Amino acid sequence: MSTHRPDHAQWADSVGAYLLGALEPVEWERFEAHLAECPRCLHDVADLRVAVDTLPMSVPLVSPPPALKGRIMAVVNSEAQLLAAAGQRADVSETVATGRDADVPETVATGRDADERSPASDRGRVGGRRRRLGGRPLGGWLMRPGVALACALLLLAGGGAAGVLLSGGEEPRTVVATTQAPGADVRLKISEDGATLVAKNMPAPPSGRVYQVWLKRPGQDPEPTSSLWSTRSDGSAEVAVPGSLDGVEAVLVTDEPEGGSAAPTKPPVITATPA
Amino acid sequence: MQLMRRGQAAAFEVIYERHSQAAYSLAYRMAGSRGVAEDVVQEAFLNIWRSGARYERARGSVRTWVLGIVHHRAIDALRRSFVHEKRRASDEGLEETLETRERTDVEAARHEEAATVRAALAHLPSEQSQVIELAYFGGFTHSEIAEMLETPIGTVKGRMRLGLEKMRHGLGAGQVGLG
Repeated sequence: MSTHRPDHAQWADSVGAYLLGALEPVEWERFEAHLAECPRCLHDVADLRVAVDTLPMSVPLVSPPPALKGRIMAVVNSEAQLLAAAGQRADVSETVATGRDADVPETVATGRDADERSPASDRGRVGGRRRRLGGRPLGGWLMRPGVALACALLLLAGGGAAGVLLSGGEEPRTVVATTQAPGADVRLKISEDGATLVAKNMPAPPSGRVYQVWLKRPGQDPEPTSSLWSTRSDGSAEVAVPGSLDGVEAVLVTDEPEGGSAAPTKPPVITATPA
Repeated sequence: MQLMRRGQAAAFEVIYERHSQAAYSLAYRMAGSRGVAEDVVQEAFLNIWRSGARYERARGSVRTWVLGIVHHRAIDALRRSFVHEKRRASDEGLEETLETRERTDVEAARHEEAATVRAALAHLPSEQSQVIELAYFGGFTHSEIAEMLETPIGTVKGRMRLGLEKMRHGLGAGQVGLG
């Protein structure tokens, strides 16, 4: 019995490039297809992966700055509180959470995360995935409010307005926001896919606090959203604004304790008027 | 990991404590910039937090899984920023940030493993270690490397495979692992 496909010779040399994440996207997909049917290549991939997996160990150890943990844990603690509030409902299918947002992390939106794949697949898909996204920065979603799962469910459960943001046909437009942060540039981008706050040179929230997005309608108190976020190290952020903007006179951002607040505890640091 | 799946931040914090240094080191090695490395690690760990349930033990250790995600994010960062000139970590005074805390037995073992891996890389013919490093740490595709080195693509792919095979044999089965 043959242990490899007739086209094995064509692909045999691609095993290394595949494991190193160096195949071009189209080639990567073709190799994956071949791999599914070629025990010989499958064996070689498993065998050589051992070498690839040791490569990170050759790197000199460098300690991350303590502040990095603080930033990450601020977001994690916030989301854990939301998750706890959502309770068992958070175990409901991800599709509930992803219905609203074309910009929800690809990982959540598709249910096909890097983590679902083997390390080899992980690496191999790198280039391909980036290209499929048309160069859209992938990092942005991490600054998004969205822990799609718990947050959207929480909003739904709380009578919030998770769902399609804007009615179809709306022309994309950008509103320049006012901000209390000197030197910061914040814009609200609105399209039929949703609204996104795009910040540059925005300072990180104070230690132990996160930024929270609010929707302000005339005559009403600001409505809390699940948008809890921080900035990247360079002060940039892309934050999806959950909920409908119908009737919203202002999108506000305040800094709040981890986990967010039911009502703003401070004056807004960002104010964007969508109308 | 099960605890993390249930949204327990403390469980996540343990994962971060155990693997953040290796993660940051890898990101820094690839990006050559502290700021980018921080972004990469932040993105990777938040990804891990949000998808902890997807870790599968059969696919390797948690460390392998974490570093795979970091590598993935770092390549995304490199490619989207079009920063493809080599930027070495030493450019930013690596010496100042080297780990100084007391070494535990585990850390001592990892230092030994690191030395083994470096030795395995160092023993490769330079043209093989070069393409492996450009691909893995530089985030270049084989065609980019071929163009850069003015070498046929087939040769580049062959060097990658040969180099990994030699590394694999040099490391020996089970002698080094990302535990």
